[in-house]
Amino acid sequence: MDAAESFRLSWRAIRSHKLRSALTVLGVVIGVGAVITFVTLGASLQADILGQVGGERTPNVYVWAGPEGQNGGPGAGAQPVFTERDLDELRALSGVSAVVPRGIVPTAAVSSGGDTVAQRQVIATSPASFDSASFAAGRPFRQGEREVVLNERAARLFETQAVVGDEVTLRLASGESVGAEVVGLLNASAGGGPFAGLDSQPLVFVPTDPFYGTTIESPETGETQRVYPTVTVIAEDFGAVAGAKTDVRAYLDDRSDAAALVPDDYAFSVRTDQDLVDQIEELLSTLTDFVTGIAVISLIVGSIGIANMMLVSVTERTREIGIMKAVGAQKRDVLQLFLLEAVMLGVFGAVAGVPVGILGAYAAAEYVGLSLVFPLEWFAIAVGVGLLVGVVAGLYPAWNAARTDPIDALRYE
Amino acid sequence: MAASHSDSAPDVGPDREDAVSLRDVRKTYYLGEPVHALDGVTLSIPRGSYTAVMGPSGSGKSTLLNLIGCLDTASEGEVFVNGTEVSELSDRDRTRVRGDEIGFVFQTFNLMPKLTAAENVALPLVFQGVSRSDRRDRAEAVLAEVGLGDRTDHRPNELSGGQRQRVAIARALVTDPAIILADEPTGNLDQETGEQIMGLFQRLHDEGHTVLMVTHERPIAEHAERVIHVLDGTIERVEEIESPRRVETDV
Repeated sequence: MDAAESFRLSWRAIRSHKLRSALTVLGVVIGVGAVITFVTLGASLQADILGQVGGERTPNVYVWAGPEGQNGGPGAGAQPVFTERDLDELRALSGVSAVVPRGIVPTAAVSSGGDTVAQRQVIATSPASFDSASFAAGRPFRQGEREVVLNERAARLFETQAVVGDEVTLRLASGESVGAEVVGLLNASAGGGPFAGLDSQPLVFVPTDPFYGTTIESPETGETQRVYPTVTVIAEDFGAVAGAKTDVRAYLDDRSDAAALVPDDYAFSVRTDQDLVDQIEELLSTLTDFVTGIAVISLIVGSIGIANMMLVSVTERTREIGIMKAVGAQKRDVLQLFLLEAVMLGVFGAVAGVPVGILGAYAAAEYVGLSLVFPLEWFAIAVGVGLLVGVVAGLYPAWNAARTDPIDALRYE
Repeated sequence: MAASHSDSAPDVGPDREDAVSLRDVRKTYYLGEPVHALDGVTLSIPRGSYTAVMGPSGSGKSTLLNLIGCLDTASEGEVFVNGTEVSELSDRDRTRVRGDEIGFVFQTFNLMPKLTAAENVALPLVFQGVSRSDRRDRAEAVLAEVGLGDRTDHRPNELSGGQRQRVAIARALVTDPAIILADEPTGNLDQETGEQIMGLFQRLHDEGHTVLMVTHERPIAEHAERVIHVLDGTIERVEEIESPRRVETDV
């Protein structure tokens, strides 16, 4: 039997019970639609977040010592273990252009222009941590000077917004008050780097000298030195990142002060921007897979609907199968007819499900304010899945039809 | 000496002139204990003949029809359809022989309810791989032959019983089969319509078609040249009808 005639006969069978076919197709539409919605949302979310994180990729290697096996973000649980000597050693590694320490100075409040606002901590770092492009006004602070850099949120904390040249007073946790001059304001897009997290909070940056006071005696030299919980190693270029990462880890494990200072069940984390992006990506795809998995369940339910309808259809048309066999239909012909009917239902469902899914994703994206990214390959996959669902759901009923005994079938009432 | 081995020689094989022949055919069903539906039937249906099969229900006439129609296989013995031994054929080849050589006409018409008259008639050609336009042409020609040239696009539920049976006969004829098997073709029709259908069979016979008809009505059987009486799975007797009943008003 030629394919065109199979299509005609199967199509006629579908049309002869429109409502039943429509409801069966609806099951697949919902299933495919749900999958498309969640996959599209997942892809959009991923693109959105990676756009935020990965957009400003730098040749940086982030180093900290955290509890072993902890899978938190950069700097999670970091202990101050990196001494000034470690920083010098790291600076000496090949391919490294700068090493930026970063520490926390506990504070109680910050005052500017007579207005005092609570501030739990300020960040002590070196001028190299700033990119000149990230300044809205002013310049980085200088090491050894009483100068501060504020990010946009921090500048807006005060009644009269802080500007370059203002005097601020840091009230340290020890109760001591220290005056400093605002020399730079970061623009809105400049974040605090991976160690500060993704959400923008008020950040006050100060030079490590003279503000950072956390010190220890270097186990190697015995000198009292500043010790930092997190370090950013800036490679010369992107090509040097991988090498720098390896060298940094080798140094830390081998001969660093940090190796001697680190608690027993702590481990060094040495991550590049790419590692962080990969980690977020993995997290997001796990989430997407999970939600898609739930949607796939509804697709399975839809395919059970097809199988159910096909079984009923085969039973109803037993006599027709007998007639076809009596006039020379081969098993293969009968199998083909019923399988094609199931596949058509599956494909119709998938084809209709794709726009429904897109619509669903669009509505959800509007609601949460995401810009949509369409995973085009998934639309092809959806149609493929519809085909597959049809075959899987139709195979047993069609096989049942094909092996019907024509004698019994012709007698069937 | 030479004559002694002629008993087993194949010269008693199927006559080339026979549309169908059966040799010592047995059909046994095992329903707890063996039931012999057919118990050693030898029979030949010559080409162009008109034969009726009569017998009470359970006599084995349906089994006989199923075997000749390649719907069932014999437990023992040989069944030749147009010179081909079908008992040993694969399901696939037997289906092909059925499609090519057998035309069925049933008591309950057995038309496809969703297909038009022309599509019903063309259905056997679909499975033979005949092209769509050829199918249409041949179906229309055969429908015209059975007097339904103006009903080609009607569905079965838009046709009368007699018209439905004509469509079924047209479907049986469309492949130009070796034999037309009719199972109680007038059983669901009133007297007058039945007569018209018998007139159609008579005309087909006159035109040279081979017809085998199962019936339990004596007056219907008398339209044939021969009546085979089946009883308890064996052929009780073969009755030659001196002057078969003719239908006066032809279609």
